[in-house]
Amino acid sequence: MRVKLYGLSTCPYCRMTKKYLASNDVEFDLLEVDLLEGQEREDAIATVKEISGGKSFPVVVIGDEVIVGFNKVRIKELLSL
Amino acid sequence: MTERPRRQMFEPGTTIDDLKEYMAPFVARLGYKFNTETEFVDEVLESELEILADTGDIYCPCRVRSGDPKEDAKIVCPCIPFFRDEFAGLRKCWCGLFILAGVEDGGELLGVMDEPDGDVDVPVFLASDVPEGQIRHVKVGKTSIAVAHAPDGFYALSNVCRHAFGPLGEGFMDGCHVMCPWHGWRYDVRDGTTDHPNADVRTYPTTERDGVVFVKMRISAKR
Repeated sequence: MRVKLYGLSTCPYCRMTKKYLASNDVEFDLLEVDLLEGQEREDAIATVKEISGGKSFPVVVIGDEVIVGFNKVRIKELLSL
Repeated sequence: MTERPRRQMFEPGTTIDDLKEYMAPFVARLGYKFNTETEFVDEVLESELEILADTGDIYCPCRVRSGDPKEDAKIVCPCIPFFRDEFAGLRKCWCGLFILAGVEDGGELLGVMDEPDGDVDVPVFLASDVPEGQIRHVKVGKTSIAVAHAPDGFYALSNVCRHAFGPLGEGFMDGCHVMCPWHGWRYDVRDGTTDHPNADVRTYPTTERDGVVFVKMRISAKR
């Protein structure tokens, strides 16, 4: 299943999420929104707002599911880890 | 001409300890404290210092700045007053830098992001900060309430007088009544009743725990 992580380079939960996915050998696309600039940044923020309803991080997308925050239990469930 | 005192906080060289010293007394007044996971606290504050160096202010490391100053002002740490209802449900701020004063093990809350739907006890202030005979306006989410210290305890009611929409939280207490500061309409803070017809205001249950006053309010999961 395709996993996408919208994160911030400054956010401890994003770091935890990255670590957790990596330690379970889950491949994921990572977008660190705060490192983007200009239009790219605005687009990414708009996307996060649209899929999560807010501007809080991390946002993990697994298939059609969107998880806001580092929710280990939910990630585990969705990826059958 | 007297020289204005130099602002010491947030200058180059600001340390984690400076931030702790700056934030701790304020969040205590809101019923919060630093997370008991001290390494995690240092990690968050370290991130805030990086953001400070980058942007000039201590924005939340877990939320993104939109570029709109009005919006971004809401995520300057500590942002608790903007998200009282949301954070009361989580029992911590979004990052987990701060936890409710009554939570013993903040480690258990790290990574917990599910807000309960329904009634939540929202901490509003320290009981000792509002002596008997005083009333204070508090904003919880989008709802404005007034929390009064009457002779027999704390009571919460709508902040908005039904007469001309004056702020009851800035009114004058008289026993168990608050007088609206604008035209003196009186409300019984215990049940929100007034002598004027069809003008009663809503009340909310309150509790007091460990010196903190809580108001029970209905929240719905949102972000």
